[in-house]
Amino acid sequence: MTQSLSFEDQLAGLLPRLRRFAHALSRNPADADDLTQATIERGLRSREQWQEGTRLDSWCYRIMRNLWIDTTRASSRKMAREAPEEEGLNVGEDPRAAMDAAVDLKRVMSAMGRLPDEQREIVALILVEGLGYREVSELLDLPIGTVSSRLVRGRTALLAMVGRE
Amino acid sequence: MTEEEKFFAWLDGELAPAEAVEMAAKVAADPRLSLLAEQHRNLGDELRGAFGPIAQEPVPENLQRALRSSGNVIPFLPSRTRIMPGAVQWAALAATLVVGVFVGAMVPRPANAPIELRGGRMYAAAALAGALDTQLASAPKGDVRIGITFRDRAGEYCRSFTAAASSGLACRTGGHWQLKGMFGAPEGNANEYRMAAGMDPNLASLVDASIAGEPLDAAGERAARDRGWR
Repeated sequence: MTQSLSFEDQLAGLLPRLRRFAHALSRNPADADDLTQATIERGLRSREQWQEGTRLDSWCYRIMRNLWIDTTRASSRKMAREAPEEEGLNVGEDPRAAMDAAVDLKRVMSAMGRLPDEQREIVALILVEGLGYREVSELLDLPIGTVSSRLVRGRTALLAMVGRE
Repeated sequence: MTEEEKFFAWLDGELAPAEAVEMAAKVAADPRLSLLAEQHRNLGDELRGAFGPIAQEPVPENLQRALRSSGNVIPFLPSRTRIMPGAVQWAALAATLVVGVFVGAMVPRPANAPIELRGGRMYAAAALAGALDTQLASAPKGDVRIGITFRDRAGEYCRSFTAAASSGLACRTGGHWQLKGMFGAPEGNANEYRMAAGMDPNLASLVDASIAGEPLDAAGERAARDRGWR
């Protein structure tokens, strides 16, 4: 079915998911949309490298993740300074507000933002984007055991952060 | 793989059928693991609930422009986003909340364990066996939900189900329901979820490998039950 669609059509169909992945990787919406835009541009430029019949979504996730790594390396120290402030803001919250689903959602997003990058990307790909371990292992060029152990660490840390333990 | 990694691989539907059955039994027998499974399932739902709506939003104009700048006009199909996995997470969440309720009920007092081991094979027992015997997919009741019912290649009836922190497939053997596989992810019961996201992929491939013909429709399911699955 997808074979009759042009490369751009397929990419357009992936945009909502790519944006979601970008939001899971980035710590703010503006960065996420910049990352999505950079991914589209890189994808269009490198389209000859994509092999018809292979998964375009994995290929795009990979481009996005590599672009994100490049930008976070450059700005990681700035991020580290900002993160504690974000945590501090939550301390004074009325715990009853945590019953509110909207607060829960923000809390889990903010917890994602505090995960180490190498755990966050794996949590996002597997738990949010729904990829399998093997797909993620191929996408990130990591042994499947590394994917599995980072996923365990990431989700365990997340659970602790959202206060469900 | 450490035991902890194996537990999570089971939760994610990543274990091979035999290992998954083993882990499902272990989790069902251990209240601490059952609770952990429930907590992590909820965490996954929260994550998808938090990020899912982003994939439902209209794609910002500047991103669409970035695509069009390649010289092609991109028709944007809003309907396509409706079948994205994210679109169904709310339904999945609803399905899983029901599962969360099961967990408490399914933690065995040993006499009530939903699975029993005989001669190295796993069979449905207690409430699970009762549900497989009598329940219809259209009328979920108690701790177990029935998914699809079909005949396997040997002509025996098989039924997929969701119970506690697992979904699985059981087939009729010698008057009992033998478990062919149990997987970490719930099969889901909301129509939208099942249609769009499908059942757990491992369960789906097990069904594919077992099924002869098509699943029974509601009338066929009822008739088969009324004949005592013979």
